[in-house]
Formats: sequence, C-alpha cells, structure tokens
Amino acid sequence: MELCDTPAYELSLLLRQKRISAVEILESCLRRVAQVDGRPGELEPGPLTAEDEQKVHAFITLTPERALAQAREVDRKLAAGEDPGPLAGVPFTVKDIFTVRGTPSTAASKILANFSAPYSATPVERMEAAGALMLGKVNLDEFTYGSSSESSAFQPSPRNPWNPARVPGGSSGGSTASVAAGEAPLSLGTDTAGSVRQPAAFCGVVGLKPTYGRVSRYGLIAFGSSLDCPGPVARNVVDAALMLQTIAGPDPRDSTAANVPVPDYLASLEEGVRGLRIGLSPDYFRITYPDPASGEYGQQPLPAEIETAVRRAAEVLAGLGAEIIDDVPMPNTRYGVPAYFVVSRVEAASNLHRYDGVKYGYRTSHPVGDLSELYRRTRNEGFGLQPKLRILMGMYVSAAQYSAQYYQRALKVRSLIRRDFEQVFDPRGKYRLDALLTPTTPTTAFRIGAVYGDSVLMQYADQLTVPANHAGVPGISLPGGLDADGLPIGIQLLGADFSEALLLRIGRIFELATENEPWRKIRPLVLRATENDG
Amino acid sequence: MSDSISRQTFDHLVGLAALELDEEQAAYLLRELNHQLKAIHELEAIPLDDSTPITSHGVPYTAQTSPPPREDDWRPHPVPDEIIAQAPENQGGYIVVPDIPHTTLE
Amino acid sequence: MTTFEAVIGLETHIQLNTTTKIFCACKADSWNDPPNSNICPVCSGMPGVLPVLNKAAVEKGVLLAQAMHAEIRPLSYFDRKNYFYPDLPKGYQISQYDQALAFGGYLELPMPATPERPAYTRLVKIHKLHLEEDAGKTKNAGGRRLIDFNRCGVPLVEMVTEPDLRSADEAAQYLIRLRQLLRWLGVSDGDMEKGQLRCDANVSIRPAGSDYLNPKTEIKNVNSIENVRDAIAKEIERQIREVEAGRRIQAWTLEFDEEAGVLRKMRSKETEADYRYFREPDLLPLRVDPAWKSAILADMPELPLERRQRFVDEYGLPEYDADILTSERSLSDYFEQTVRAYGGDPKRVSNYLMNDVLRMLNEAGKTAAELRLTPAYLAEIIQLVDAGTVNTSTGKSLLQKVEESAKPPRVIVEEEGLAKVSDDAVIREVCWQVLEENPNEVMTYKAGKATLIAWFVGQVMRKMRGKADPTLARQILEELLK
Repeated sequence: MELCDTPAYELSLLLRQKRISAVEILESCLRRVAQVDGRPGELEPGPLTAEDEQKVHAFITLTPERALAQAREVDRKLAAGEDPGPLAGVPFTVKDIFTVRGTPSTAASKILANFSAPYSATPVERMEAAGALMLGKVNLDEFTYGSSSESSAFQPSPRNPWNPARVPGGSSGGSTASVAAGEAPLSLGTDTAGSVRQPAAFCGVVGLKPTYGRVSRYGLIAFGSSLDCPGPVARNVVDAALMLQTIAGPDPRDSTAANVPVPDYLASLEEGVRGLRIGLSPDYFRITYPDPASGEYGQQPLPAEIETAVRRAAEVLAGLGAEIIDDVPMPNTRYGVPAYFVVSRVEAASNLHRYDGVKYGYRTSHPVGDLSELYRRTRNEGFGLQPKLRILMGMYVSAAQYSAQYYQRALKVRSLIRRDFEQVFDPRGKYRLDALLTPTTPTTAFRIGAVYGDSVLMQYADQLTVPANHAGVPGISLPGGLDADGLPIGIQLLGADFSEALLLRIGRIFELATENEPWRKIRPLVLRATENDG
Repeated sequence: MSDSISRQTFDHLVGLAALELDEEQAAYLLRELNHQLKAIHELEAIPLDDSTPITSHGVPYTAQTSPPPREDDWRPHPVPDEIIAQAPENQGGYIVVPDIPHTTLE
Repeated sequence: MTTFEAVIGLETHIQLNTTTKIFCACKADSWNDPPNSNICPVCSGMPGVLPVLNKAAVEKGVLLAQAMHAEIRPLSYFDRKNYFYPDLPKGYQISQYDQALAFGGYLELPMPATPERPAYTRLVKIHKLHLEEDAGKTKNAGGRRLIDFNRCGVPLVEMVTEPDLRSADEAAQYLIRLRQLLRWLGVSDGDMEKGQLRCDANVSIRPAGSDYLNPKTEIKNVNSIENVRDAIAKEIERQIREVEAGRRIQAWTLEFDEEAGVLRKMRSKETEADYRYFREPDLLPLRVDPAWKSAILADMPELPLERRQRFVDEYGLPEYDADILTSERSLSDYFEQTVRAYGGDPKRVSNYLMNDVLRMLNEAGKTAAELRLTPAYLAEIIQLVDAGTVNTSTGKSLLQKVEESAKPPRVIVEEEGLAKVSDDAVIREVCWQVLEENPNEVMTYKAGKATLIAWFVGQVMRKMRGKADPTLARQILEELLK
C-alpha cells in the first residue's frame, strides 16, 4: 500500500517509529494528486476535455509549499526529539468554505474568488497545531449550496472517484473525493443538511457531522448558521475519531461552541456494541418526494439495495451483541426538507448580505452611477444561480407579512423534528436507543447533470440527513457496501447530543467486522487506473 | 394563503435583495422558487399550536453548556491594514464607494 | 381658537463606555483615531467570523435598565436587523427585537417653576430598552463616499420613550436628566457632541385635552440638547401653522440644519423598510440569572432624584441646593462626606460648595472626586472659621491654598501665621498707629462722617494681614475716636 492510501493513525505511528518521514508522506500524496486530480477548478475553465472527464478535480487551490514547510517542521521536531503533535505528518484538505490565512478563501464563488482572509478557521488552526499538513483547499457547491458540488463557480467541478461520470455528492464533494482518491487521508468538511455525510456516502468514505456546537464555526463562511457543523472526512473510523479529537471543543471566538468537555474518542473506540440498543425506523426507509413530472408529492420506498445494506449492517451489529429495535417511529422526518427550505434560506439570505463589492471580494468593473447600482451589479455578476435562489427564498419567507406563515412555522416544525430524536433517545422512554441506524442517502451517486438545475430534487438528496441538522444531533455515514453499478452505499448512525464517542465506537466495530467482506477490497475506479500505471 | 410567488412579488424581492437579473435567470429562479414553495406548503399539513416552542438551535444550551460572555479586555487586531487592503477601492485609510442615492435634503 | 398640545416621544441611542466593542475585542473609543485603525475581522464584517458578547456591555445595560425602573428579562435574545448600507459591514445589525434586555420603566422629570407656571413633575414611560451594535461612519467626498468602520460595534443601548412629553422644554429636560443619570451610573459619558448620546424625536400635535394621536414627524440628526429643544419647538410651531391653515401633517422625516437653525425634509423612502428581523443564530440567548443580576446591582448607587429628596429631608437643604448638589454624583458624594466630617449644619457646607467649591471645579475643569481639597480638609476649614481661629475671608483663601498645596489647613494656618488675632492689646496698638498716621481722616470722622469707621477697620486689617478680629478692631477704633 502506498503511503497516500495508508490510514492516518498508521502514518502517525510509522512516523513516530521513524520508519517514514513527513516529507515522504506528503510526496506520496502529491504524486497521487498529480495522477488523478487533473486541473483544479477555475473561473474560466474553457471547454471540458475527454481527459477532464476522467479526473477527480477535487482542488481549487493546492498548497504544496505550505504543506512542505509543515512537513519539514514535523521532521525537524521528530529529529530533535520534540513532540510533533497527534496528527503530525498527516496531510489534510480543507473545504474552501473555511478561511485559511495565506490562501484564497473562495467559497467556490466568483464573489470571493480574490478574497484572502487574514485569519484561519479554528478547526484548521487546530489541525495545523496538531502537526497535520494543509495540502490545499478543495471544491464544493458555491457557498455549499447543493448536494453534488456541480454548482461551483470553479470548474471543472469534482467528480466521483468511483465513477467520474457520477457526482461526488455535496457540498463537501471535493473533501470526500480527495479522501476517496487517496489524495489525503483526512479532509475538513461542513454539514448543514448532510453536506459531509451525503458525499461521504457517495464516495465510500467516513463522514461525521458532530453535534451542533461540538466544533467551532469560527472561520467557516456561513450558510445556515444554526445548522452548520464542521466535520471530519476520513477513510476509516479511527482516523475520523483522531480528527474529531483534534478539532472539537470550546472556542472563545465562537459563542455557540458548547462548553462541554471533549471525551477521549479513541479510548472507547474498541469497546464494541454489546448491550447497546440500536433502532431502525420505517420513516428512514421511504422518502416523500415530488414527482419530477407532475410535481405531486408521494411516498416511495428506497431502492432495495440501500435498504438491504442497512438491514445487513443491523444483522452484523446484532451478531456482535447489539439489540436491534425495529419500527421506531420518526414521523417528522419527511418535514426535514420543507422546513430546511425555510430556515436555511432565511439565514443564508442574511449571511450573504455582506457580499456587496464594498469591503472585499468581487466588485463589478462596469461603471456605476450610484451605490445601489454597485450593489446590484456586483451581486448579480458575483453570485451564481444557487446563491440567488437562496437569497430570494430567504427574503420571501422572512418578509414581515410572511414570517409567521413560513419562518415561525418552520421553526416550530424544527422543534417537532428535534422531539422525534429526544423521544427515541430518552433513557427513560419507550425506545431508549443508543443510536438509530439508517441509510445516509435515498440513492447512490447520480450522474453528473442528471439532477443539477432542479433545485427541489437536489434538495431531496438530503432528506435522510437533514433531520439531524435541525435537531443538532450527531450523525456519521459509513461505507456499507456497493450497489449493482459498483457505487458505494452509505449507512448512517444518528445519536443523542454529544454522543460522537458512541457513534464512532459502533462504526469502528462494524468496520472491523466487515473488513474482509469482498466489497471492502474493491477500490475506486480512478485508482484502479493508477494501479495499471504501476 | 398565497399558493405561489407572482412575478410582481418576485421583482420586489429582487430589488430587496440588491440583485438584478436577466430574463433567463429570472424565469429559472421564479420557477424554482415556486417549486420550493410547493414543498414548503407541505408544512401546513402539520397541526401546530401556540404551545409548540420554536427552536433556534437544535441542541438546547443550558446555563452550564453556554460559554461565558467575553471579559472586557482590549486585544487589538494585529493587522487592520490587511483588512482594508482587501477593499476594491480604498484611499487614505478609508474604503471608498460611489455616492449614495439621495436620501437627504430637498 | 383651539389650543394645541404637543405629543413627543424620544428615541435615544446611548454609547456605553466599555473598554471594548460589544462583539469583539477592539477598543470601543476611537476618538481621534485614524480611519479604520481600530477594526478587526468581526467588526468589519469579514466572512466566517462570529460575534462574542462583551460582559461589561450587558452589565452597564442592566445598571441603566434598573435605574430606569425597567423590568430586566432573565432571558433575552439578539436578532438580526437586515438592510444594506455601507456603514453596516455585515449587511445586518445585531440588535434585540421582541425579547429585549428590558422593558417598561420610567424617568421622572422635575420641571422647575417659571414665571408662567409652578414647578411640576413629568413622568416619562419607557417603552423598550435594548442592546445593539453601532454602525460605522460615512462621509461625502466629491461624489464619492468614504467609509470608516472604527465606530462599528460600539455598544449601544437604544431606549424608546412613550409619547409622554408635552413640550420642547420637557424633551430637553429629559435629555438633561438622562445624561445626568448616565454619568451618575458611569455607563456612558453622554456627550451629544461626540455622538455618545443621540436622539431622534417624534413630534405631533393635537387639541389640548384630547387623547388620540395624530400623524407625527420624525426629527433626526440633532446633536445637542439645545438643538433638540430648538428643533422640536420649531416643529411644533410649524405643525400648528399647518393645521390652522387647514393642511394635514404628513409623516415626514426631518433633518435639523444647525447652522441655519431650520428643519429640512428628507426624501421619503421609495418602499417601506422591511428589516426581516430574525434571531441571531451566532449568539446564544442572553441569560441574566439572579446571581449575576444581584452582583451587577450591588454596584447600583442611590439615584440622583432619590438623593436629591434625601438631601432635603435629611439635611434640611432647600430644593435649590439639593438639586445643584445632586447634579453630579461625585459632587453629591463630596457634600455628604464633608457633612459627615464636619458634624455641624449641612446648610453651612452647602454654602461653601455652592459659593466657592463649584467655582473652583468649573475653573479647574475637575470633578469633586479629583479635588486635593478633600472633604475632610473642607470640613476642617469650616470648623476653623466656626471656632474663630481664622476669620471668614481667611477661610475662603484657605480653600485655594489647600487645593494648590494639598497640605492640611491647620498646617497652612500655622506656617503662614494666619490665625485670627483676638488679643485686645495687640489690636489696640495697631489702631493707635493707624489713627496717628491718618490725622486728616480722624478729623473728617470727628466732623461727623461716621462711615469712615469701615475704612479705619480696613487699614487695621491690612496692617495685620487680615488676621485681626474685625469686630474687636471696630470696637477699639470707635472707643479711641470718641
């Protein structure tokens, strides 16, 4: 196995044993990037070539010099006998929605294309302080607004390493694609409706959405501020735990970073699932979906392959001593997307007010007569369609005359969604669950261009992930098998507030129990090509 | 209860949002808004009353889990110039914008 | 002919004098700082950064709310008020909308008597009191706008009164009393010229005695108490003229042109503003729990009007004295400390303060707490005069000497030999000298000009450098001149 495909926890060990150097790890990752990534996203990409269609295109900005300097510093510390930090020498990529001092922070939008923040996001700062190597900023849907990464202003947009004709999911598509393709063992993503878990499922990697407030949002360019969660993307559960350990915890720069002690996630990782109560809910095995032709809403079962993968995982966990509780009602799951259409848009519209061509970022080059024309032209030219759509919806549902009808109602529905979780996790309640086991997504990775443009259908890709964002509870997506097209299926564990340690522990034993299954041996398509290269 | 966003309302929103759109964009956005609104109307099927609380953050913050307020200690930002340097137009330490549409004297 | 009464409500913005801004650790006070030198990513609205609430801003807000007799919410919320303006870098202002820090409350305005009417008290109710952040500043420069974010994020309390004020004088009195209170509490310097206290006035008129509200105008951008009084008085006159001419009052926004002393109409906005308020998701609910609240209120001083009344009741001061002595907190503290150290008639202390100490304060531009003439020294001087150790004029000159030297009064009296001479023989000797040196005046006196006695006393006092007991000197002179 090449270093770039090696788990982070093993790299860390090999490094401490001085069997490898940080520079060697970095070089391996950079070689992989050169092999599979193709050209980075740019504002004026020109036509897509046949070669482009075979590449991953995870990056917007690659920062090899920065990573090299960090790698050398790690090697120096090791040589000098100093502690290089818990993630020393481990390369990671950063979704370009986080600010990193000294790099462009674009949010995949033209309006911030030339923006360079004089500060780093807290989770990035903590990763670098732990010795991790910042390899670059990866692509996403513009301002995270999407579930396929196609809406980036920087094209080509990322492609799925398992099949480059498919989307990697989104909005953290660059993160999950970079990790799945072995460009870096870790990536920092964000999850507002499923933006870490859904692309993790599509790309066959581990994606963790921590409890709201578990990880600081300082330096995360905001979408839905009451929903946004920074989270780790990794190829295995141990690495995800290691990364969460590094980035979690209170932050004096974020008032919503909860004052809750961070447990030792690694200490409990191997404790297994004996005696744990794990629920299955019928409300997560069907989706309420608008018919693309008629627009009528109807309930449909999930594809059988996806339900089967989840039920098989339940059997595995039952075999390891977990108690599986069937038929757990989560009746408000279906309202997650409609409520999200309201809540996230109100926050997004407000969060996007600040991009006006005055202080930073893009300003129209067209001559303008007055300030309001400057605003209108700048925002029209700088924002793509998805931000515009969110701004307009946010304006509408929070307008004084509609706020009660839409916004206040959606906030109440949010309480109902939260109540579903509280009831099933209540230790004195009827179900007393430790976790809920569900599919992560209603489908596997869809074809590039198949859904893009239909903003409603796109949003329904998040139907099974968004309830956790409304409720604030943690969720993790784990690889759970492959479908008939050879595309990854994600299974999701949802838990009570601040129960990340438990979710990681369940994920870890599932991973160990299935490590020899045939699907675990199959590698993403783009990597099979590199094997032939030698 | 209005079922859809009219073109007139849409144009008003575009103004409020400080946007200006070409016809193709406007048509797409209005269509998508109304599709989304249809999904939003699903929420009206839910019986709600005044006793249903509203949720601002999913996770409830208690007095213990809420971080304490900041102490009133001055810590100047080390490089305010870097902030102003990002502005598309600046002069003598000021950020510069075109004139503001008249709201003053008549 | 109908008589009209004015109906006035004031919306005030008060800059709290915290060290740092309300949501970031930048310095709050940028007076005389170069533009955009006192900013950070938070107050300049950069992407991804988050507000963190300043504890001191809450504490000062709570003190003010309590002093206004308002009810303080144990749980209040911050909201976003969304609008585009270049002095508002985030495109929204963090404010408090429906669940603000405090609500209700009132301020009592003692209106002094005038030749036309007796004194009375006006009760002004407070509608709402909330915390918010200040915006930056813009200025015109030849068709362009220059923007300075230094003021962005300065903590403000916005306080809105009910339409309870009935005249321009009452509005001015409200601002005077509010400013007094702000300084008294130490929550704001309340200087209108520096924008630390800002005021918009809503003005309408109605037939005296009626209880409905007519359309009002809003007067903005007035930056002194005198100008607020002028602007409101002019607007009331204008509205009366309009109504008497049979025209209707339009809901205009007016701007006061200080130099010309006239109100000008601001162009009305095309559309009614919709700020789309919603809860600020970046901040948690503000908890002022009982423990914190009582810790804050432990610093709550006796309020000016309460103290004023107590000075009347407890010390028997005239209202006039009590009002002046409680105009400022450190002066009133100084008075009480002096009374305590002195132990005699409080009115006597008041006289010293009102006649002499206040003048010293004004001349030196100091507050009472900054005087080197401490309450203990002042009490000592009054006691020296009372005991006849020094005469009244020496006593007064001692005030200045103590202030300059910071030496105890008794030490100065001893060092400079200022003690009053009451020894008959010594004074008699000097009197003889004066009479011998001034034979013409003696003749004039004896010819019947009795008023010259004062001149002779003056000569004796001068020779004795003011130390003679003037009563005794007069007795001796009269005796010798017989």
